[in-house]
Amino acid sequence: MFMLAGIVVLHITTVILLLVATIDNAWWVTGTASTDLWGRWELTSSDWHYYNLQNYPQDYLQSVQGTVVLACVFTILALFVFLAQLFTLPKGQRFIFTGILQLIACLCIMTAASVYTAKFHTNDDTKGGYGHSYILAWISFVLTLLLTVTYLILRKSE
Amino acid sequence: AGLILSRLSFGSSTETMLTVLVLASIVLLGIAPERSQAITIYTGWERHALVGSDVRLSCSFFSWRWISDDVTFSWTYRPDGSRDSISIFHYTGGEAYVDNKGPFRDRLEFVGNPGRRDGSILIKNLDFSDNGTFTCDAKNPPDIVGRPSSVRLLVFEKLPIQAGVITGAIIGVVLGLLVLIVVIYYLMRFLVARRVFSLNVSKHGKKKKEGSQQRQIKQTPPLPPTIVASDGQMPSYLPFKHPRGTSRCRPTSLLWTSWFLL
Repeated sequence: MFMLAGIVVLHITTVILLLVATIDNAWWVTGTASTDLWGRWELTSSDWHYYNLQNYPQDYLQSVQGTVVLACVFTILALFVFLAQLFTLPKGQRFIFTGILQLIACLCIMTAASVYTAKFHTNDDTKGGYGHSYILAWISFVLTLLLTVTYLILRKSE
Repeated sequence: AGLILSRLSFGSSTETMLTVLVLASIVLLGIAPERSQAITIYTGWERHALVGSDVRLSCSFFSWRWISDDVTFSWTYRPDGSRDSISIFHYTGGEAYVDNKGPFRDRLEFVGNPGRRDGSILIKNLDFSDNGTFTCDAKNPPDIVGRPSSVRLLVFEKLPIQAGVITGAIIGVVLGLLVLIVVIYYLMRFLVARRVFSLNVSKHGKKKKEGSQQRQIKQTPPLPPTIVASDGQMPSYLPFKHPRGTSRCRPTSLLWTSWFLL
């Protein structure tokens, strides 16, 4: 009972972290700017302004965008499939379908974070650091991996 | 009018309402075009093209009047960063007059069809100096009040990837594959279940016990001996557990495990 509640809470937490990592434009943060994935916020004289991303390799940026969105979609799908399988799975069986969906989500967020690390901000020109969205992306990778292993091992009882 | 009035006094309420509605719509249709007589002109918002290629700038309009013989189209060009615009094309009286002195001489061609409200032009062999705003103005006498519409031309050396194309492709393909796989899985499950059901029905006449055991032994794939629950009970996927009374066997859990055990 508690394990079930714990797994559901963990899954919901993962969904929330992934959504924040996807939506919030804070993969790279400098003193006056917070940028990435969708746009760039710049602080000019105590006012924040939103700009489009320029001079980024478009194909890599769009592949990061696509895979990070897919990670969110698959995690949310896995949550619903898990809740459905709680009622429909025969006793003693594993949550394979949920595990596979969560595995795909894990691979997607890993791809997104890796491509971003390898291809963006590789030369230290803007004197900034990785922002909270980037950190949350890697944390979500760990959590999705944990959840995948959980679903592939857990057996349904009662 | 008298006829209508007599109808109004004798007819039912719905008839009255219908008559009023018809009269009102006739009046409104008669008045409306007179008031909203502005001609609306449509061009694109932006056009992207490569250096050296040709680009077709489309211009069409909507007018409440029929197309008259005096319909005119005119295109003007304003370079990026300049405040003056020059006229580069004019169509009037059935004749098209293209630019023969300005920046587009020998490069401009009229490819529109005025009879079909199309006043498009074709610019050939683009260069970076052609970046700018092109404005199309169309007039359909007596419908002449309207706002000209502008299209911005951007000339690139290499066409940039439009925002979101790759993103959308990745998301669409993966989700599409997922839907496809799920559909195929459930389809195969349904087909195999149907086949087993028909087999079950056909063997209904023979000895049920031996027949069902044999059939189910044939269907169960060779399982490794370790797959038994730790408490010694039969795992739920073996079909022997099902009560004798059921005439329909349940291959769904069978397929599920066999699929993932293989």
